[in-house]
Amino acid sequence: MLTLIRRELLDNLMTFRFAAAVFIMLLLVVSNTVVLIKDYERRLADYNTAVKTHHQQLQEKKTYSAGRLHVDRPPNPLSIFNIGMDKQLGNQVEVYFGFVPTLWDAKMHGSDNPIMNIFSSIDIAFIFKVVLSLLALIFAYDTLAGEREQGTLRLVLTHPVRRGHILFAKYMSAMVCLLVPLLMSVLLAVILLTTSTSISLSTDDFLRMAGFILTTIVYLSVFYLIGMLISALTRRTGTALMLSMFVWGFWVLIYPNMILASILPQPTVEARASSTFNQIEQLWEEFEREQEQYLKNDAVPGEDPGFGIGWVGGSMNRLNKDAATLQYYYKKGFNITEIDERSEPQMPHIQNYYQFLVPLTIDIADRTWRIRKPALEKIYVRPALIDRILLKVSPIGMYDTATQAWVGTDLLGIQDFFSAARQYRKTVIDFFYDKNAFASRQWIAADKGAADWSTLPQFSFQRSGIRINATRALPDIFLLLMTNIVLFIIIFLIFIKTEV
Amino acid sequence: MWHIAKRELYDNLNSLRFALATVLLLGLMLTNAAVYLHEQPKRTQKYNAAVTESVNDLTVRADSLYTLAREGPGLLYKKPSSLRFCAEGGEPFLPNVVGGAFLWSISGGLKGFWRLNYPSTTPNLTDIRPNVTKVDWAFIIGYVLSLIAILFTFDAISGERELGTLRLMLANPMPRYTILIGKFLGALISIGIPLTLAVLMNLLLISTSSAVQLGPDAWERLGIIFFIAILYTGLFLALGLLVSTCVSRSAVSLVILLLIWVTFVVFVPSTLASIAGGFSSPMSTDELWQRRGELYAKRWERYDAYFAERVERSKEIQFKGEHVIAEAEEQERVNEEHLAQQIDQVKFARRTTQISPIAIAQHLIESFAGTGFERHLQFLENTRTHARQFRKFIADTDSGDPESSHIIGIRQGMSEKPVSPAAVPKFEDTLNLNQDFNAAMMDLLLLVLLFVVLLSGAYLAFVRVEV
Repeated sequence: MLTLIRRELLDNLMTFRFAAAVFIMLLLVVSNTVVLIKDYERRLADYNTAVKTHHQQLQEKKTYSAGRLHVDRPPNPLSIFNIGMDKQLGNQVEVYFGFVPTLWDAKMHGSDNPIMNIFSSIDIAFIFKVVLSLLALIFAYDTLAGEREQGTLRLVLTHPVRRGHILFAKYMSAMVCLLVPLLMSVLLAVILLTTSTSISLSTDDFLRMAGFILTTIVYLSVFYLIGMLISALTRRTGTALMLSMFVWGFWVLIYPNMILASILPQPTVEARASSTFNQIEQLWEEFEREQEQYLKNDAVPGEDPGFGIGWVGGSMNRLNKDAATLQYYYKKGFNITEIDERSEPQMPHIQNYYQFLVPLTIDIADRTWRIRKPALEKIYVRPALIDRILLKVSPIGMYDTATQAWVGTDLLGIQDFFSAARQYRKTVIDFFYDKNAFASRQWIAADKGAADWSTLPQFSFQRSGIRINATRALPDIFLLLMTNIVLFIIIFLIFIKTEV
Repeated sequence: MWHIAKRELYDNLNSLRFALATVLLLGLMLTNAAVYLHEQPKRTQKYNAAVTESVNDLTVRADSLYTLAREGPGLLYKKPSSLRFCAEGGEPFLPNVVGGAFLWSISGGLKGFWRLNYPSTTPNLTDIRPNVTKVDWAFIIGYVLSLIAILFTFDAISGERELGTLRLMLANPMPRYTILIGKFLGALISIGIPLTLAVLMNLLLISTSSAVQLGPDAWERLGIIFFIAILYTGLFLALGLLVSTCVSRSAVSLVILLLIWVTFVVFVPSTLASIAGGFSSPMSTDELWQRRGELYAKRWERYDAYFAERVERSKEIQFKGEHVIAEAEEQERVNEEHLAQQIDQVKFARRTTQISPIAIAQHLIESFAGTGFERHLQFLENTRTHARQFRKFIADTDSGDPESSHIIGIRQGMSEKPVSPAAVPKFEDTLNLNQDFNAAMMDLLLLVLLFVVLLSGAYLAFVRVEV
């Protein structure tokens, strides 16, 4: 057995293709890693600027109602391995008590040149999934067909070795050969990563990388086995090679691009969006009614929400709505610097009014969220998930989802940030309650003391733990492993039955 | 020569690769047509609706010349190309609208005037679908056709040498180049057949559908794109022949060819673009805002300084008008500068990627399909022309009103009469073939040059080769 492996290994190591594989992998991975690290550093700088600006902007606000809180999503350092959705989706979202933030309300901070996006960007996973799979097939196409053509297979079989052993030896040695360029290139990438001063990696990150490499190996083995299967099925190496190349072209280039093009979005989605939007509008109409009711019943005659106060300063009263993303919220704030003395007796009333109004807004916002969340899931998330499931028919799709899950740039990883933003909204609301901010004068006016933001907890987003990454990646790794096993069994059965 | 081409052709027609290539190309082209037929009517509809809305908004503003001048011509939309199925050209990442901005109030009780303003983020921020390349002609030609071309030629010479048939062929009294050309033509025709078939099926499906109309201009463009496809295939065939001649074993030849393919088709267009993009750092959005803020503050200093002294009432209006116009112009200039820097960065990156034939081919296809970056530049130019026209229209209309004191920029100085909405110049996004052709000529020449170099390289190698 070991002699067999050794023979195969030496055979493979001496070939031109092995040298070519090592060379091309190193070239591609190193040059791309340098580019990707630079890109990450720029995004990180943008992020830091954004955080600083947003912090400053908040401190400048003198009233609570005018405070605009923005939270920013830091770029993921492991996005170098698989960029996923990290760069594509919004990375800044406003946290406002009257509105539950989601991915669909996010904006982009940063100052990248948007036109540069017309160039597709390559990450390490892309190199592996395209080039490494090609190399695996190049290593595999002649393993069985070649030996059969030359007659050496017959020679080997005259010795008392089992056919299973031969297969296994071939598989092992080729995998070792393929691992050399893979590991070397990953090693170089990691070295480049660790030498970059702006990137700090934790222990978890190294474990995530290990998960990434593991997934890559399993993926690689799938393509090697596909090549071996073709080799076992064909009589001539030429045919095996041709078939392998077409199979590769189909799975890697054509299938992923074609399948998404050929499934068309359902027409019912728009109808659903508009019906949900109606529900949300009704909620806010209810909000209006309750507000009017309050103004009618309170101690002050008249229904003027301004209570006839004379003031100097700024105000904001804006309705944001977007039927496509089911966005609907009022933004109402004051930044009053001076209040007419004659209006002073009215102040307690207006404070009472906001003490009523703001919790109502929060409540309606929460109820809106309860309607909006499942609708968004149905309209946007589910089709995206179906797309991903369809992509998984190709090993490329499984590999892509698994590696994205490992490094945390998949959709779930990005959504973690938005759940954190939603959590932070609760913190902010609690902060307001603690300060009794709604009923305070500082809610609308800064003439007698400004709002105090100093005790507001800072927002910080931690990427999900390694355990969660692993749980998200496991189903796809499992699928890849199953594919491996099935392929190996098929090859074994074919090889046992073939005549030499 | 034709004899050899014919023999090659028959050989290929019976082979596995021919069957696979045909199936692949047909499937891709049909998918392409189906997707296009599904999407294009929606796109046109969206565009038309947006344009109608923009025009309606204009009608509302036309109640006085001042309001019209201040709030501007509204949103200017990019017209979707009817040849979008040929090249997506990164359209989803390019803004399809140029807006303007006007400030509700700038201090001093003045209102800001309209200026061109360009969107600063990509439009698809909330797109959570996995991003894959669209199957357009540019993809089919650029990626798939080149791979097929390599698979058709990698063993053309080396395979025959391995089998020993090359020696047999050379024993006949004919010059070597006829063999090479014959092989080239044979391969070209045998790829040309499935390609033509697939393209015809694709166009048949598209042209018979009532949802989309292709004009005579579009057919001209399609003809050119088809020619580019053939030229591009020829280029890769020549490359395949060259490598196949230089290398003694087919397997090695294929490995080399695939590595070249990966480098030029996958690696160069994206990585090199990123590297080249890294050399320049255009003004960032933050910087843009900062610059704008500084200019704004400076302008106001001048304004305050002016009013620190007592001035005549008639001159005051004049000054205010000039102030408003100058503010808008200044801001627009910064916007333009910002955009110009971004465009320069992209242009440089694109030029760098042109060492790869696939980038050249894709740029060519894009420019003839009327999509992508070059098209975007044309659109931006169109919006600028329109802005000039619009301002000229305002000035002309104003000077036609005897009651106005012809000070543009302030309500008191301008005509207050309503404007007939029909008279306001409409923005029309146009595209002409002539301009495209001039811009694309360099690329086309480059492609031809590469082709000639590779083919003569293959010839020289083949003449010297020992059998």
